[in-house]
Amino acid sequence: IMLKGMTRLVSRVHKAKHGEQHVGQHYSISVQELKTAFPHGLPPRFALQVKTFNEACLMVRKPALELLHYLKNTNFAHPAVRYVLYGEKGTGKTLSLCHIIHFCAKQDWMILHIPDAHLWVKNCRDLLQSTYNKQRFDQPLEASVWLKNFKTANERFLSQIKVQDKYVWNKRESTEKGSPLAEVVEQGITRVRNATDAVGVVLRELKRQSSLGGFRLLVAVDGVDALWGRTTLKREDKSPIAPEELALIYNLRKMVKNDWQGGAIVLTVSQTGSLFKPRKAYLPQELLGKEGFDTLDPFIPILVSNYNPKEFESCIQYYLENNWLQHEKAHTEEGKKELLFLSNRNPGLLERLCAYL
Amino acid sequence: MAASTVKVAREWSGLALGVRRAVLRLPGLTQVRWSRYGPEYQDPQIDKEYYRKPLAQLTEEEKYERELRKTQVIKAAPATKTSSVFEDPVISKFTNMMMKGGNKILARSLITQTLEAVKRKQFEKYHAASAEEQATIERNPYTIFHQALKNCEPVIGLVPILKGGHFYQVPVPLADRRRRFLAMKWMITECREKKPRRMLMPEKLSQELLEAFYNRGPVIKRKHDMHKMAEANRALAHYRWW
Repeated sequence: IMLKGMTRLVSRVHKAKHGEQHVGQHYSISVQELKTAFPHGLPPRFALQVKTFNEACLMVRKPALELLHYLKNTNFAHPAVRYVLYGEKGTGKTLSLCHIIHFCAKQDWMILHIPDAHLWVKNCRDLLQSTYNKQRFDQPLEASVWLKNFKTANERFLSQIKVQDKYVWNKRESTEKGSPLAEVVEQGITRVRNATDAVGVVLRELKRQSSLGGFRLLVAVDGVDALWGRTTLKREDKSPIAPEELALIYNLRKMVKNDWQGGAIVLTVSQTGSLFKPRKAYLPQELLGKEGFDTLDPFIPILVSNYNPKEFESCIQYYLENNWLQHEKAHTEEGKKELLFLSNRNPGLLERLCAYL
Repeated sequence: MAASTVKVAREWSGLALGVRRAVLRLPGLTQVRWSRYGPEYQDPQIDKEYYRKPLAQLTEEEKYERELRKTQVIKAAPATKTSSVFEDPVISKFTNMMMKGGNKILARSLITQTLEAVKRKQFEKYHAASAEEQATIERNPYTIFHQALKNCEPVIGLVPILKGGHFYQVPVPLADRRRRFLAMKWMITECREKKPRRMLMPEKLSQELLEAFYNRGPVIKRKHDMHKMAEANRALAHYRWW
């Protein structure tokens, strides 16, 4: 995996060897690894950049390094530790999460990645009443899409893990005790009506079995404040639905509780997709609300801030190496000072500025 | 004579300095566009390099000019002109023409999205092309924009002239600013009207700009039509008196 930086470094041997001295340098991920590690998709602007440059390069930054250090030294006998990445808009929370996921995928952990929890609480076309519990609602589309991507991400584990209970889907179909998890996932993908229940089954089995230690589980949720906020979905009689009445959200809340061992939970709070939250809110207390904060209470907050001068320089160098900054004045000192002033070293803003320069 | 009238204006109480009385330039013609600034107001100097020159490097004339500007009244700089290195007067003029209802934010965002779209398309082509072709592909969206508009400028235009109760379309040489205006106007109307229903403006504009850059596409055709009409009405050129 090649590391590009201000000093043109040669290839790295293993990503596990990222250390303090690599802050500010980029490392690239090959296209095949992208398909297996990120089947759900990367954030849209980053995916565009990957398509344009024909390579995916992430910058090594301090919050991600800190998290990697903690993950390397986790004690898997203790309950799972919760880490919350928070920060202002555009500082790089989602991409830091992607860095962590790629690292864990390389280390052969099982990845449970929800790319954006906000998408599950808004704009849902079809809500069915759940077959398992009459009070809750099913979301067949979102659940089946997520199951398909989950399958591509964790192919090798699905045949190893065995289900520990018998699950009856309907009169004709049931999954016996001891059959591989892949069958449950297939069932969810083919029978879209039972997809949400299949997701619930998968989550429950993974939670139970990771404590036994056959594999390590990483739960990565982006936009976790959606689990405790409000939804924009309504019933047929126009009364609003609370998040706990959605089966997907209910099961996910159980996953995020730290009563299981053998893995870690990495979460991101973001205002960008959130509903009914003020624009300037970025702290976990403000975005999660009282209920969410109390549920998540002993967690490790990690602040993701704007680039420091070295990282900013490195980012500009990366764009210059790929010839992305085509404007003549962008190469000069004046141009760089101007970019610094306009973007305030915010990674998201800098990316948008450099797109049209 | 002009100085005394201006001094009289200054001594009037209640009137702000520099308010110009309606000066009739030609008999029978009224001024349609005027500014509230008097003739003594100088244009603002926005260029940063002008002020950064160290005193030793200035010539006598430039030193005199600097001293003079210390006592002269200067107009306020418009909000759209910045001292940014990335500023482009052509782009500013184009955004003003695209703007509807004073929504400059929307117009500016459309232009930036167009430049980004042009850049991404050119990068796609670059990566797909072989080594010799890569040298010919232009990736700078600003050069493409300028070259495309230059290619769309007509050389000669038509003007309706009233003679003997009929309006004749007479071929006439156009000033630089009229040509630039026509190129931008044609580009914008083309993109607004001939757009497929669900296509967004940046995508259509980027398409048209790239086609105009390579001298094909509907805007270039319109320019050629204008040239052909001018060529056809060549005989009427005598109706022009300027």
